Amino acid sequence: MSKSSDGRPRFLSPLLRTLRQRPLVVALTKRELSARYRGSALGFVWSLINPLLLLLVYATVFRFVFTPRADVRPYALFLFGGVLVWGFVSAALLDAAETFRTNGPLLRKTTVAPEVFPAVAVGARLSHLCLALPVLGAAILFAAVTGSASPGAPLFQFPFVLLLLTATVFGLALAVSSLAVHFGDVRDLIGNLLTLAFFLTPVLYPAASVPQRWRPFLWLNPFAIFFSSVHESAFFFRPISASAWAGMALTAAAALLSGAWVFDRLRDSIAEEA
Amino acid sequence: MRGATKLYRRYGRKRSVGTLKTALLSRPAGAALVPEAGVAALTDVSFEVARGETVGIVGSNGSGKSTLLKLLAGIVRPTRGEVEVRGRLAALLELGAGFHPELSGRENVEIAGLLLGLSKAEIARRFDDIVRFAELEEFLDAPLRTYSSGMAVRLGFSIAAHSAPDVLLVDEVLAVGDEAFAHRSLEKFSEFEKAGKTILLVSHDLSLVAARCRRAIWLDAGRLVADGPAPDTVARYRERVAEREGEKRLAPGAAAPAGSIGSGRARVVAVRVLDGRGRPSGRLRSGEAASLEMEVRAEPALRDFVFGFALSTVAGQPVFGSNTALEGLDGEAFSGEARVRLEIPTLSLAPGVYSVDAAIHAADGAPYDYRRDVIRFEVTAETATSGVWNPRRRWRTEGGVRWKE
Repeated sequence: MSKSSDGRPRFLSPLLRTLRQRPLVVALTKRELSARYRGSALGFVWSLINPLLLLLVYATVFRFVFTPRADVRPYALFLFGGVLVWGFVSAALLDAAETFRTNGPLLRKTTVAPEVFPAVAVGARLSHLCLALPVLGAAILFAAVTGSASPGAPLFQFPFVLLLLTATVFGLALAVSSLAVHFGDVRDLIGNLLTLAFFLTPVLYPAASVPQRWRPFLWLNPFAIFFSSVHESAFFFRPISASAWAGMALTAAAALLSGAWVFDRLRDSIAEEA
Repeated sequence: MRGATKLYRRYGRKRSVGTLKTALLSRPAGAALVPEAGVAALTDVSFEVARGETVGIVGSNGSGKSTLLKLLAGIVRPTRGEVEVRGRLAALLELGAGFHPELSGRENVEIAGLLLGLSKAEIARRFDDIVRFAELEEFLDAPLRTYSSGMAVRLGFSIAAHSAPDVLLVDEVLAVGDEAFAHRSLEKFSEFEKAGKTILLVSHDLSLVAARCRRAIWLDAGRLVADGPAPDTVARYRERVAEREGEKRLAPGAAAPAGSIGSGRARVVAVRVLDGRGRPSGRLRSGEAASLEMEVRAEPALRDFVFGFALSTVAGQPVFGSNTALEGLDGEAFSGEARVRLEIPTLSLAPGVYSVDAAIHAADGAPYDYRRDVIRFEVTAETATSGVWNPRRRWRTEGGVRWKE
């Protein structure tokens, strides 16, 4: 295995470099966010309005048009948490696929470490998600007040699920971004895979509704464990099992390491191809 | 930084892999990722720059100057060979890289500084100096899009100038902004020099390189042609540029190009315009000596041949035309290669651009190779005149005319 000068395996270096460049990642993420909203009258309020409208649509459709299974009521709330988090995952990966094209001039004209850009793609989408979380909180509170949900302490597991999910998404973003810059078809591929994954992941349905004999296949999807944990913590308010935590941690570690490995292999030519 | 060594071998730029599919299907998988063929932007370039040296890099467009800086900056890696830089490096390849129009000057300073490798604390410490140097104190909180382009460039330069690198790479970005600011940026440049920083400067401004750099490197088509004291390298480079302008090589044996008529029994291989010292030059001075030269070839040998030159203005007005027959030279034999030169002791042409026709033909006028507008040259003079003739002359008046002293 090739080692860098400090004796660490070379493929870890994208991760270490991202850590070292934290201030730049934060500054560029802020730039992304504030530049997006500056000049619009409502500014950051938009990141509240969009999920709020989504929630209203769900609440209307699934109350008056379509009656879901009994174990996932209120279904609007069930759906909302999962869809918000899925929105983060898919937007972050799609942005990662574009990031080197968008930031080509910077890559070619500055000595910035390219790892920074997938990190910013994930960071910006995570920030959007965090800005929408108050709406989720309000929805849970509303459900609690009207008696249709009884939130409890397991809700506090949610941030940790999100943390491990973010690590996983960053690992994937490293691979996606570096592959997409070399291969034009990766971006389309990612779009299609994400649509497929949306239905294969327990976002619209609880993991428990998957027939027992198909269940093992469900867990082959790396996102499944995260979304079932999102449901456990933010909808059912049940403690997440130790095995689920272990599964998430292992997935995150595997995604980070393999993403960093792919990125490191392709890193040298990113600035040329972007 | 202590004596950095930079060795480049070959650097292939673009590869032909477009899609993931191609890469996976090629055998062995992934082999297509290794750039083997490709355009070499730099070929086997080696040099060493000691700490505190100021080195100019000159060369025509596409000679590899920018690639050289990118390699040094670590933006791209050499395909072969090694690049080593010791010390902190700042690359001024583009001013204001990372600027966002919607953000304020203040926010942009922070991002640009981080991109240059400064820490947040360093940016905070130098912030006031940066803003003062750019003279933008009042506009700090306005979004960058409200800045004039000059203001943005000043801010960009100021951030870079205050990043206090050990090695500074500059690509054509000195002398930006208005006169006063350009002056101060050059002062800053001298300051760097005095502080013992190493500077590599890519510039088309040859006089700047000759004046500001102790040493210069000349790249041509990705190869290092000359490396030495700046005035010498710049002089050699200038000479070469003039030479290229003053010489036109014609593809030998190729199908007759447009503007050429004739049987092809003899060929004009190259045409040159030479200055008073006999060097090829695209720019001649009126009143000095000049020559027109053609390299010619005849196979098999010819007995009946005449060489001729004609000059016209680019507008097509004939200026001069003569040939060896008109001037009493009677051909006996012409075989193989030869050089024919028409020497003009005093070039009495008015300032302007002139076009040259060169021809070889038979005594009866039947052309072997007649090249119309084969090369052009420019004539310069101290005083402007109209027309095409610029003879040596003097005004003389007699009688009731007086001139002011």
